[in-house]
Amino acid sequence: MTISQALRSCTLLAFAAAATPVFAHHSFTMFDMTKKITLVGSVTSFEWTNPHSYIEIDVPDEQGAVKHWSIEMGSPSILQQSGWKFSSLKKGDKTTLVINPLKNGKAGGFLNTATLPDGRTLGNGPGQNP
Amino acid sequence: MKISRLCGFAFLLLVGWNVMAQTPPDLTGVWGVYRGGRGADPKLAPPPAGPLVLKPEYAKPYEARRALEAEASKRGEQLATAGAQCIPYGVPTMMSVAIYPVEFIQTPKQITIISEAFSEVRRVYMNVPQSKPDDVAPGYYGRSVGRWDGDTLVVDTIGIKPSIPGYRGMPHSEKMHVTERIKLVAPDYLHDQITIEDPVVLEKPVTYTLAYKRMPNYEMVEFVCDNNREYIDEKGIVRLQVHDK
Repeated sequence: MTISQALRSCTLLAFAAAATPVFAHHSFTMFDMTKKITLVGSVTSFEWTNPHSYIEIDVPDEQGAVKHWSIEMGSPSILQQSGWKFSSLKKGDKTTLVINPLKNGKAGGFLNTATLPDGRTLGNGPGQNP
Repeated sequence: MKISRLCGFAFLLLVGWNVMAQTPPDLTGVWGVYRGGRGADPKLAPPPAGPLVLKPEYAKPYEARRALEAEASKRGEQLATAGAQCIPYGVPTMMSVAIYPVEFIQTPKQITIISEAFSEVRRVYMNVPQSKPDDVAPGYYGRSVGRWDGDTLVVDTIGIKPSIPGYRGMPHSEKMHVTERIKLVAPDYLHDQITIEDPVVLEKPVTYTLAYKRMPNYEMVEFVCDNNREYIDEKGIVRLQVHDK
C-alpha cells in the first residue's frame, strides 16, 4: 500500500464515522469551549427564535460600568429538552449565566448554564449540563 | 360437512394472512435520530456506512476543501456552509440533521416527510411512475415516488440541484439518483437505507443507513430561521453578530 493509498483509506474511514451533520446550523469552533466566564446581570431581551435563541444581558462591573453581552443558545427544539420555555426569562430579570466566550474577544458567547429568577439552573440542551 | 368447514377456515386464514402481508406498516408519527451506542441491540442501530469513493477529478477538490476546513477549525474558525446561512439541506441530507426529529404522515397516495430542522418538507407520491429527468425542475427535494416492496417502502428520488451539498458535502451532478429502502426493524425502530448513484461523480454507488426511534406524543417544533445572527465575513468565515450597546 502506498502512502497515498493509506491516506485515502484514512480519509474514507474518517468520513465513515459521521453520516449526518452534527450541527444543524454551525459548529462551536468560534467559542472557546475550554474557558468559562460567569456573567451576573440584567436581561434586556430573551429571544426564543431559530436557528438559535439568545439572551441579551447588561452586566455591570465593580465600578458600575455596564457591558452588554449577546449569548447564543440552542434552538427552541433543543432548549425545551433542558426545561426551557419561551417565557423562562423576560426583560429586567436578574440572572447568572455561565458561558464559553467568543475566541475573537467580542462580547458574545455560548451558554452553558443559566440560573433563573426562580432559582432553577438550566443547561443548553441535551449533553449541555445540567 | 366437516371437510368443507375445514376448507372454509383454511381459506379465511389464507385470506387473512394475505391481507396482513399486503397491508403496509403505518410509519405515521415522529421519529428521533437513533445512533445506538454501547450495549445497543445491533439490529436496531444503523449498520456502518459504505465507503464514499469519488472519481479522481472530484476527489481532489473535495479532499482539498476538507483540508481547508480542518485547518480553519485548528485556527478556531469555521468556513462558510449552507447551513450557517440557513439554507436547507434537501434530499437526502435533511433525513438526519443533528438531533432533530423527522415526521412521517402516511396516506395511500402520498407519504409526507417533514424535518424539524429548517421545517423541510418532502412528498413521496405512491404507486406512480417516476418522471423523465428532463421534466423535473432541479430543486432541494426533486421528485420522489414510492412503492411498497412487502414491508419496505422504496423511494426513488431524482432532480436534486447540483449546487446543494450532497451526502457528507460530496459534490453531485444532475444525474444523482437516490434510492431509499425504509423499513421498521422493530415496532418502534425505523431504518432508512439510502443509496446514492451518480455516474458522473461517483466511482460506485454509496450506501448508508439512518436509524430512528419513535417519539410517541412528540409535537414538532416550528423552525423558521428568522433570527440568524451568524454571518459570513469577507474571508468566508462564519462569525456571530453580537449586539453591542
